[in-house]
Amino acid sequence: MMFRKTGKDSGESSPRFRTIHATDGQSGNPVDRDAADGETVLQVRDLRVNFASEAGTVHAVRGVSFDLRRGQTLGIVGESGSGKSVTSMSIMGLLDSNAHVTGSIRFHGEELLSKTDAEMSRIRGDGIAMVFQDPLSALTPVFSIGEQMKEALVVHNPKMTADEVRRRSIELLALVGIPNAEERLKSYPHEFSGGMRQRVVIAMAIANNPDVIIADEPTTALDVTIQAQVLEVLQKAQEETGAALIFITHDLGVIAGNADDIIVMYAGAPVETAPVDNIFYEPVMPYTMGLLGACPRPDTGREDRLVPIPGSPTNLVDLPAGCPFSPRCPLAVDECRMSEPELEAVPGRPGQRAACHRTEYILDRKLTYRDVFHVGKAVPSILDDVPYDERRTVLDVHDLKKTFPLTGGGFLRRRIGTVHAVDDVSLEVREGETMALVGESGSGKSTTLLEIMDLKQPEGGTVELFGTPVVKGMPRAERRELHGLVQYVFQDPMSSLDPRLPVYDILAEPLKVARLSKEDINDRIGELMRLVELNPDQVDRFPTQFSGGQRQRIAIARALAVNPKLILLDEPVSALDVSIQAGVINLLEDLQNKLGVAYLLVAHNLSVIRHISTHVAVMYLGHIVESGETETVFRHPLHPYTQALLSAVPVPDPKVERSRHRIVLQGDLPSPVEEIPGCPFASRCPLRLTLPEDKRRLCDTVPPKLGHHDGWRQQVACHFVEESAVRYRAGIVQRSPVTARTEE
Amino acid sequence: MIKYILKRLANYVVMLFVAVSMTYFLASAFMNPRSNYMSRHPAPPEASINRSLDNANINDQTPVILRYLRWLKGVVTKWDWGLAPDQSPVGSAVATRISASVQLVTIGTILSIVIGVAIGVYTAIRQYKWQDRTLNAIATFFLVVPTAVLGLFVVFGAIWLNNATGTRLFYVTGLHSYGGSNPWGYVVDFLQHIILPTIVLTIPGVVGYHLTQRTYLLDTMNADYVRTARAKGLTLNQAIRKHALRTSLIPTCVNVAFSIAGVFTGAVITETVFAINGLGRYFVTTINNNDINGAVCIAAFGGACTLGGALLADIASAWLDPRIRLG
Repeated sequence: MMFRKTGKDSGESSPRFRTIHATDGQSGNPVDRDAADGETVLQVRDLRVNFASEAGTVHAVRGVSFDLRRGQTLGIVGESGSGKSVTSMSIMGLLDSNAHVTGSIRFHGEELLSKTDAEMSRIRGDGIAMVFQDPLSALTPVFSIGEQMKEALVVHNPKMTADEVRRRSIELLALVGIPNAEERLKSYPHEFSGGMRQRVVIAMAIANNPDVIIADEPTTALDVTIQAQVLEVLQKAQEETGAALIFITHDLGVIAGNADDIIVMYAGAPVETAPVDNIFYEPVMPYTMGLLGACPRPDTGREDRLVPIPGSPTNLVDLPAGCPFSPRCPLAVDECRMSEPELEAVPGRPGQRAACHRTEYILDRKLTYRDVFHVGKAVPSILDDVPYDERRTVLDVHDLKKTFPLTGGGFLRRRIGTVHAVDDVSLEVREGETMALVGESGSGKSTTLLEIMDLKQPEGGTVELFGTPVVKGMPRAERRELHGLVQYVFQDPMSSLDPRLPVYDILAEPLKVARLSKEDINDRIGELMRLVELNPDQVDRFPTQFSGGQRQRIAIARALAVNPKLILLDEPVSALDVSIQAGVINLLEDLQNKLGVAYLLVAHNLSVIRHISTHVAVMYLGHIVESGETETVFRHPLHPYTQALLSAVPVPDPKVERSRHRIVLQGDLPSPVEEIPGCPFASRCPLRLTLPEDKRRLCDTVPPKLGHHDGWRQQVACHFVEESAVRYRAGIVQRSPVTARTEE
Repeated sequence: MIKYILKRLANYVVMLFVAVSMTYFLASAFMNPRSNYMSRHPAPPEASINRSLDNANINDQTPVILRYLRWLKGVVTKWDWGLAPDQSPVGSAVATRISASVQLVTIGTILSIVIGVAIGVYTAIRQYKWQDRTLNAIATFFLVVPTAVLGLFVVFGAIWLNNATGTRLFYVTGLHSYGGSNPWGYVVDFLQHIILPTIVLTIPGVVGYHLTQRTYLLDTMNADYVRTARAKGLTLNQAIRKHALRTSLIPTCVNVAFSIAGVFTGAVITETVFAINGLGRYFVTTINNNDINGAVCIAAFGGACTLGGALLADIASAWLDPRIRLG
């Protein structure tokens, strides 16, 4: 039967993990490869897009030109507001009607910009297809997957019979790795996980063998192990169709391994375009350099400070005269502020073009980002002299448990199940250290943080803050004192600050609660603003008048106001652009060194965690599977899940990416409602599959306890630590570049 | 599914029973049918008043619990909803008025939904274009015109037309006046009666559905999945018709189902303007006349309609939205 065969191919009965090679691991130079292909499918010339807005005309795209050949992968990189998505939407003809588009987009020589919606609809999905960012909202919730696949096929092939449509749909779903494709046709989008939905979107995009696939941040909304799966599928889809791929992303790591050429965009205009290696190893334009220096890498640790780009992204309504990057550029001279540079070929570098007046200066002196941007020294920590064992414990969590009842509908709301969100989590945080909780969505990391934040007696286990156990019936005064010592910073600085309070009042609020006098409050606010590197004169402004990064600084200042000893940070930089994120990470580090405050941090970005944390706890399905010093865990991960997680992190380095091997975990996180008698990771564990039957039974029936194992410094919850370590050392599980590099 | 509906129905019967019983006690506490007799000139003798009240089972000298049990027994065993203070049976009075109300509101409701949703979709697709602005202005105008004023305008307009043409095109009172036996003549006569009240009922209904449907569709029109549909090769209009419309109809469906009860009992003003003996006017009359049994009977009917509407709303949204599971 057809579907059995395809089901097998898609991994149903194949080993549950595979190591995959990036496509062009052998050919070192992508430029050669391009020359071999040839036929230009898409030609964009001087594309400009303006939007009318209440504030004035938004110049979203200002002169983008490129050629795209069959089989080529073009990466478009930029921060929010750089015009990368608007560029892709104008190629698709999907911009709002208030957009004013000029220039030329030719697909197989045919001009697209002059086409009507009806004419464009014949090309969309047939010649040019698109994969969107958020798979959760990209599929119509009220139609089954089969119906939506069918639509993609039939709209361009009206003569296809129902049987052909069905066969092709199953074939496509199997191609993108959806098990039981035949049965899943009847499923609705909400019955799929995010990663699976993105596979469906990819299947629809390649349904008609397009010549161009545009992927707009296709993995940004996904967890790192799922991201690895989707990148693999996307690459397979491209190989299968021979299409050209435009890959739009803000994450340099994601495209390092896949792209042939890269366009870096800033303020709507391309500032540098080059083959991928030139961009990563020999960038010329200072913005490109800054982006690379600001990007935290999973293979460099806390001692390598990030390079923040000063200032904030340009306003697209009132662009400054001259180079839009000049206000933030350390190399800017008068010429840069007078006229905007053209994108010109960089002498001696075939294929590389940069829009910079200082190109020659940079080339002559062979400047790198370390020379161009000021890399500050970290402030020495006040606790440097105190040995770890003598530092005070600020937070001690023991066997924390949190469950949520799952209730049925109807009048009585009977309990039909229990979600074990956090199960037996133990943590210890000492003063001056940063403990990071890391895990994929649904791992219980945020719930753990919220439970500690609550300052209530937990459902199970104990929480001890500064030696005081948090129990029911705690005296009010004591609780208030604890509140002063523990503060919080949230993910989204847009919504965590009251938009109607000026910054002064936001910062004064916790101080008033602490009953400080007016003069003291005034002094303290000035001090706090200087501490987070903001201008103290701006305290009368409202949060909306600040950029995202500045707002997060205000949130940090608010948390610091009452001199806390512990700050709980929930994804503090994930809503920020890369260039801004670096500044906030450095600030958090400096503040910790100056004040000796401890952080408990939740994040999903492993690169950020490596830069910011001293200790890390890896969570999976409400359990901590591995915890220890960040350096130890990143260099010698012992738990198979940690190993997979680390191997999936993209590294912003093309050579590393091309030669790397990823452990691609099969499947998704099991439902938290499921009762798992044994190890929670057993269903996806690559190590378990290599074990003999009797040992497997142990994994399936006995939950492993987090504990120390002989010869290892971290704690691991795995029955077969030795086997895992041996496999890792022997390279059966390919070492991730993350760990390989740091061992050199 | 069937099991779910049966379970729901059983639930509803219990809820309805509680609600109607509460209404009975409330009505008995607040209404004083004795005053109907006391205010007559000359006042009838006390014994005769008591006899009449006892006969209708609304005598305030009988303990309310006894009256309630007697009333309940009548309803459950004989489907007898009791007597009004003037000794006329409540059940048959309500039945004829339900029939009048159904005739009055059915066409109006269907037209409101169809025209309102159609205009809502039409204007949403043309957001901020002149068609949208014009229809929005008209809708806003009718939104602020009270039904009574609208009714009078329609009546005056119809009379003017009748006078201008010299024939009786429209009737402005009642529902029927044909006495012959020709079925065709009956239908024409009914249409001549129903057209004016239908206009008065339809316009506010259309305005409501137009404005809400426009909002719902605008919400879903910019959804990511509509963009995906366009990226697959559907034109903007196809994508909206197929992908945005269905999701935007879910809340409208729920609205329609819940509005059923209101439609029956809420047409008081239209009924008054056109002198139609429908449920709305009857409800007001029962309250004015201290008609305990009548008011309770109407409340029971309204409750049944509301719960029926709720069930319909559940089934309709489950049918339209696969994410909702019944059971």
